[in-house]
Amino acid sequence: MKWIEVDTQRAYDRIRGKIITLALMPGSLINEQRLSEELELSTTPVREALKLLIHDDLVVITQRHGLYVAGINIPDLEQLSEMRISLESLCARLAALRADSDDLNVFEALQLEQAQTPSENSHRLLDLDHKFHKALVRAAGNKYLARSLNHLFDLSQRLWYVAMPHLNFLFDSVAEHLDLVDALKKKDADRAEQIMRDHVKGFYDRVRVVLEEKG
Amino acid sequence: MDMNTDSAYDLVLGINTGGTYTDGMLMEYHTRKVLSAHKSITTKRDLSIGIESVIEGIHIEDPSMIQMVSISTTLATNAIAEKKSKRVALFLIGYDPDLIASYNMKRRFATRHFYYFSGGHDLYGREKQGLDLQAILSKVGDIKHDVDAIAVSSYFSPLNPEHEIRAFKAISGICDLPVVLGHHLSTKLGSVERATTAALNASLLAVLKEFVIAVRRAMQRRRIDAPLMVVRGDGTLMSDEFATQTPVETIHSGPAASAIGGRFLSRIDDALVVDIGGTTTDFALIQEGRVTVSEEGATVDGYKTAVKAADLLSIALGGDSHIAIDNDGRLEIGPERVVPLACLASQYPLVKDLLKRLSRCSRSKATPESLEYWFLLREPKAANQLKTDREKILVDLLSKNPMPLPEILKKFNLLNVRQIGAEELLQQEIIGKGGLTPTDLLHTEGRYTSWDRESAELALNIFSRYQFKTPGEVRQRVWNKITETIVHAIITFLSGQTLNLSATSKEGDMARWFFYNSLYAAHPHLETRFQLQHPIIGIGAPADFFLQDVADKLHTNLILPENYEVANAVGAVAGSVMVTEEILVYPHISADGFEVLGYYMQTGEGRENFEAAGDALNRAKTLSHELALGAALRSGADNPEVTVEVQDDGLDTYRVQARAIGNPRLGGRQ
Repeated sequence: MKWIEVDTQRAYDRIRGKIITLALMPGSLINEQRLSEELELSTTPVREALKLLIHDDLVVITQRHGLYVAGINIPDLEQLSEMRISLESLCARLAALRADSDDLNVFEALQLEQAQTPSENSHRLLDLDHKFHKALVRAAGNKYLARSLNHLFDLSQRLWYVAMPHLNFLFDSVAEHLDLVDALKKKDADRAEQIMRDHVKGFYDRVRVVLEEKG
Repeated sequence: MDMNTDSAYDLVLGINTGGTYTDGMLMEYHTRKVLSAHKSITTKRDLSIGIESVIEGIHIEDPSMIQMVSISTTLATNAIAEKKSKRVALFLIGYDPDLIASYNMKRRFATRHFYYFSGGHDLYGREKQGLDLQAILSKVGDIKHDVDAIAVSSYFSPLNPEHEIRAFKAISGICDLPVVLGHHLSTKLGSVERATTAALNASLLAVLKEFVIAVRRAMQRRRIDAPLMVVRGDGTLMSDEFATQTPVETIHSGPAASAIGGRFLSRIDDALVVDIGGTTTDFALIQEGRVTVSEEGATVDGYKTAVKAADLLSIALGGDSHIAIDNDGRLEIGPERVVPLACLASQYPLVKDLLKRLSRCSRSKATPESLEYWFLLREPKAANQLKTDREKILVDLLSKNPMPLPEILKKFNLLNVRQIGAEELLQQEIIGKGGLTPTDLLHTEGRYTSWDRESAELALNIFSRYQFKTPGEVRQRVWNKITETIVHAIITFLSGQTLNLSATSKEGDMARWFFYNSLYAAHPHLETRFQLQHPIIGIGAPADFFLQDVADKLHTNLILPENYEVANAVGAVAGSVMVTEEILVYPHISADGFEVLGYYMQTGEGRENFEAAGDALNRAKTLSHELALGAALRSGADNPEVTVEVQDDGLDTYRVQARAIGNPRLGGRQ
């Protein structure tokens, strides 16, 4: 563990957190110096972390304007949703076919916790939703699918935060997950695929409305 | 860069955190020449402060030439003893709660939060009971906001870790806490020790990680770009990355490093190493060039673990041990460590004036207690660090100058020191204590001259007059008592026998008689003696003064290698890089238990099936060799040598152990 790696990891986690939770707004300029003062880290790890975030498509660099936080726009959203709808439904199908009893236990535990979490605790619900998707990816047992989806998760997480103040759909997903767990248990691949398709599509439809309203 | 034997390319920086001092030394590795050394006070509240000040204070001509930094640290041991480690939930799979309760082994788990679940395997690696994952996950849901880490140990997991691995996957699916698995830490079959080790390891993860980051930062500030190694409890080295995963292995690394350093500097392969510090004296045995490792696992703060560590004995006696008179009027040295009066007086001239005044007082007023001073070590950071009014008043009282204990008691109208309630302030190192120590006595003899000799003499005179003795008599009594204590410790350490010296002498106790007769040749006709077969290697600053008499009494030689004062820091770099990989081979028994269906070869990750034991063993030997070699190279060993040993554990079960060992790789930075 090189010191630089430790601090880079810290800087990366914190900057990424700020971008995803919109503390750093989409499209805003990034000031390296100010960022490193804020994080109390030297500029080297901050710069390294920003490089990683460019690779993650969360930070954009242009010759004219320097560094800024990647914007959220409708065309981007469409491309992202196309990918996620297909891959997540494939993932749900594979998970239905391949999930073993350990996986099902994990789904149930997550589903139960989600049901018990009050709807105003949106951070925790978001985290649980994220874990649910990750557990599905693991149960699907395809590492290439896992890699693609993990990248897409990171990009979509930001959309949650954009849409959250306007919508109450975190609460809706409780019922959807319950359905999905049932389909997984019955190894009903078609149904699992359909539920997931609707779940992801519903999410993007609502985000789209929010973005369009905001102009 | 090619390997370069040019001395400029093999500078290494060794650091040891002892109970009193943190030592650092810069050495030319191949010539074993110590170029510079630096000492700072060990900051128990945060060991990295002391280490940072050593790294910042030591003279280094060109930091870019340093090829390795290595640290031995009591961090893990301290964190456990002082309960500063993190909160851990321990999940026990397939353990029998009644059995644990009947042997009263609960306390041994090193955490109050332990939970039983059904599952586990039998001694042939067959599933004993199905794993109750549902119960495990539901428990995780209940406790995950109240603990910092989770440890999992399943019954017979070294033979079959399946349940631990399944639990790990499921738990990490629902929470973000670090999860430690028993079979990763120990392949031995002691289920309680394995669980304890897993729990301790989990509790230390964050502690060691913060420490490594702090050291890395300090290195960065001095522009030292080199691999960082941490000493294990058996004196070998591991990379900082390994250390942050298996922090429990650093238990006892300080004393182990001292022993290795003593051997490295003296180049003697068979000896008893005695390390005298400010607070403690540590003993270790070197045989055929290696520190003897305890066959049983290391014990820390009463917890038995499965961690391999040097066989050590540590006693609370050092150069700065407090010399006092106990309630029965007997001389007492230690266990408490205080700042020597000579040192305190050189910092605060008032102390000397107070001692002068005290020496003119009547005998009954100039008591040994009046030689104990309290002083402010550092300002409390925030006002809220002081919880009680008395703490505030005390800090205020001491803000300008040290104060003798009787006067503090008088201010508060108290009779006993315990009534003051300053434990927290002492532990936080906000308040320190000064008093008469062996170091002061050395000043009065002119053998040690760093600080104020006159104050040491005044204090000794007061202390002696109170007992109607001359300073010379008291001094002799102190030296004798130190010798007796150390000789007693050596004999206890080597023989494993006990003898209570402080008990009142009983008529007809031959062991006691033998002990004293051998030390002082008291009997007119019968001579007895102890004869230590190997020389004593003395290390630590006071070794020169205390150990000659010990060696004489044991009829052996005292060897004080060059730079013996910093041998413990030398030891931090002198160890080899070592990695061991163990693989178990055991029979695959049919469900009814009557038939051997084949042999399993079980690694930490998975297992393979073989028809014949020989094939399984051969595969295990090749694989463990490969794994150990790879891991040693990754941890920075230069040209590691691998030895493979097969141990028969009985019941047709074999433990195949590959040990890759090599000097740290220097000058070959990639």
